[in-house]
Amino acid sequence: MSTLTALMALLFFPGGLIILLVGLAYEWADRKLVARFQNRIGPRWFQPLADIVKLLAKEEVVPQGVHPGLFVTLPVIALSGALTAALYVPVFGLAPSYSFSGDLIVTVYLLSLLTLCTGLAGANTLNRFSLIGATRTLTQLFSYEAPFLLALLGPALAAGSWRISAIADYGADRWLILAQPVGFVVALIGLMGKLELPPFDAPEAETEIVAGALTEYSGRGLALFRLGKGVELVVGLTLVAAFYLGGVANPIAFFAKTLALLGVLAGLQSLLARLRIDQTVGLWWRYGTILALVQFLILIVWKGLAA
Amino acid sequence: METDTCLQKAAELLAPWAQETIEPEPGRVDVAVAPGDLVAAARALMDARWGYLTAITGLDPGEEDGRLEALYHFACGAAIVTLRVRVPRTRPAVPSLIDVIPSVSFYERELMEMFGIVVEGTPNTDRLFLPEDWPDGIYPLRKDFRMEQLGG
Amino acid sequence: MASEKFVIPIGPQHPALKEPGHFEFNVDGEIVTDASVRLGYVHRGIEKGAETRNFVQAEYLVERICGICSHVHATAFCLGVERLAGVEAPPRAQAIRQIVAELERIHSHLLWVGVAAHEAGFDTLFMYTWRDRETVMNLLEGITGNRVNYSANVLGGVKCDIGPEQAEAIQIGLNFLEERTRHYLEVVSSDAMFLRRTRGIGVMTREDAERMGVVGPTARASGVPRDVRIDAPYLLYAEHPVELVIEEAGDLEARFKVRVRELFESYRVIRELLTALPEGELTARIPRRIKPAETISRVEAPRGELFYFIKSNGTDSAERVKVRTPTLPNMASVLALSVGHQLADVPMILAGIDPCFSCNDRMAVVKRNGDEQVWTWEQLRQYGIEYYR
Repeated sequence: MSTLTALMALLFFPGGLIILLVGLAYEWADRKLVARFQNRIGPRWFQPLADIVKLLAKEEVVPQGVHPGLFVTLPVIALSGALTAALYVPVFGLAPSYSFSGDLIVTVYLLSLLTLCTGLAGANTLNRFSLIGATRTLTQLFSYEAPFLLALLGPALAAGSWRISAIADYGADRWLILAQPVGFVVALIGLMGKLELPPFDAPEAETEIVAGALTEYSGRGLALFRLGKGVELVVGLTLVAAFYLGGVANPIAFFAKTLALLGVLAGLQSLLARLRIDQTVGLWWRYGTILALVQFLILIVWKGLAA
Repeated sequence: METDTCLQKAAELLAPWAQETIEPEPGRVDVAVAPGDLVAAARALMDARWGYLTAITGLDPGEEDGRLEALYHFACGAAIVTLRVRVPRTRPAVPSLIDVIPSVSFYERELMEMFGIVVEGTPNTDRLFLPEDWPDGIYPLRKDFRMEQLGG
Repeated sequence: MASEKFVIPIGPQHPALKEPGHFEFNVDGEIVTDASVRLGYVHRGIEKGAETRNFVQAEYLVERICGICSHVHATAFCLGVERLAGVEAPPRAQAIRQIVAELERIHSHLLWVGVAAHEAGFDTLFMYTWRDRETVMNLLEGITGNRVNYSANVLGGVKCDIGPEQAEAIQIGLNFLEERTRHYLEVVSSDAMFLRRTRGIGVMTREDAERMGVVGPTARASGVPRDVRIDAPYLLYAEHPVELVIEEAGDLEARFKVRVRELFESYRVIRELLTALPEGELTARIPRRIKPAETISRVEAPRGELFYFIKSNGTDSAERVKVRTPTLPNMASVLALSVGHQLADVPMILAGIDPCFSCNDRMAVVKRNGDEQVWTWEQLRQYGIEYYR
């Protein structure tokens, strides 16, 4: 019985298939919103799904000079990392499928798996654009990862737990965005960096390095990476909404809050010009990390005083 | 009026090397110089900060003439001075202006590949416009160029 | 890898290039250490082709050198041939030529702002400028019937008139564009994120600009007062002059500002011409054969000085047509400027001169895949006819 439930959670709901579809739906919402902000019509509702179906049906070309095993497995690892992360967060306003003390750290690193795989996938090929893209992807990873984690640790510290469900319960009673505004901003911007959305899209800046690390990918591999990104978008939004925006106790609150956040992301994407990679790193280490750290220290001190 | 002053000044500057000076139309002076004097003449214009090199035109007056021409057009406001260099068709060569005008490289490369006028001393002699497999010694803008020369 | 050069090829097919050109950038990490260029991918043999056609045919041929600035190519050619023939186009024709030329400049500059913003990853500005550019494209279509190769010129004049209704439509269109342009000027000179990508990037000092012989807005952004419309007025630019738009900074921001500010001059001069449109004929008669002579015709294309050298030989076709487009002198500056910059800035610097490869390339030989056979012009024509049958 428990095996069956586990399989269900993993393959169908809330883990597998459904979250893939919701990821695509969110991707569509993002693309549509950006398009409307830019005075374009934008894609039709099934466009991301159609893209994925088309890519999955196509031949995957393995270029010369790569390690074929790595080339094929990296997208799978990336997607499974993102899907596994989905099991530990309260997606759709439901309690996480699995939960243990310290799952916050595991989730954050599962989310980084996608970026890491992208970087490795780029470094695996001989394509110059891929190599430059991979370098940038990993550089960017190292710049936003620390502040993003710090921004998620703020609520954890306030809740006194490393367990996502416990923090989400704590956050459900209060809007932590009011108590920790810096953390919220850093977490949201960190999410944009994680997803390589503009203005943090230097790793895949098409006018310089074509498609960055994924230039050589086509067909199935590319589809899996794209699906992984969609899942990561949902998981990331869920985390931020659950921690900072008064929790996602039911499906209505979940969709309302995550979509509102997505709207903000889309607005930022269309408002800002792309940052160079050195500017991205500078921004994160000079402002993001310092601010998150300062707020974190204040929290610790305040906690200590209160105790 | 200002144009005339400009042209007058250019004519004075170029006087030591001028073999023949004509005014083909208002605002223009056409000065024929020997290939060996080209660098000195251009340097005189540049040192006096007289305008800038706007283009190099290659000209093939036809096989019977036995010569090729390279026209160096300098512009200063509305005034244009053309240094006309005539070289023998059998061994066409002009000195490079690269020491006087650093940006001349593209113009000289175009002249070389289109007319086969050897520009002596230009740093880069790679093809700029023509395909890599274009046969050597075939210059498309010469009057005796025929498509059949490309083989096939 | 340290001893080996790491070369990033950009082109001939690359998302940053809207036309084929091939650049090779040697990079050390993200820093460019060397750059080289190979042109010729869209060389179509137009200079040679112009020698074998009569003047009327050649005019349509040179108009097809460039899809963006087709009108200035035709204008430069017409002005040159008219001078050789000793004919002057009637004033009304000259005014209409100037109006179309300025509308073309508006279209070209708006297009450039969009492309350059896209290179910086600022797609919103790209989308908005291109949306507004449709206005001026529609105006051009209203006057000439075409959106790109307008064919407004004929030797000796123009073939399309501007009636009161069209003048009104142009005024309305310009009002809209002027308001939008004010907004764009504000964006390019005050958007903090965008300025991070343009301010202080690709700086070309006035000295460098003069040394490298750059022309057009690229030169004017570096404080070099060089504009053919002012230096050597043609058409009605003497009676209805434009003011010199100049910036001193020499960086990408200055290049943006110069081009956007030039739009206001274009709006003003078009309005002026519309209200003072001279009455009269649209064309003057021009002889078919033209006595042997040489002439030089220079006009200010949107990208800078366009140079035509035309030699006639007494027949109805030209002995030699030499075209020097503004991209050629400006191209050398790109290579020099990109050294020492971040790879991420290269597309911006490249776009900063508004390169037009089709303008540069004017000669080609078509090869069929597989066998190395060269096609003659006639074969190629036949192939084209068969292909579309």
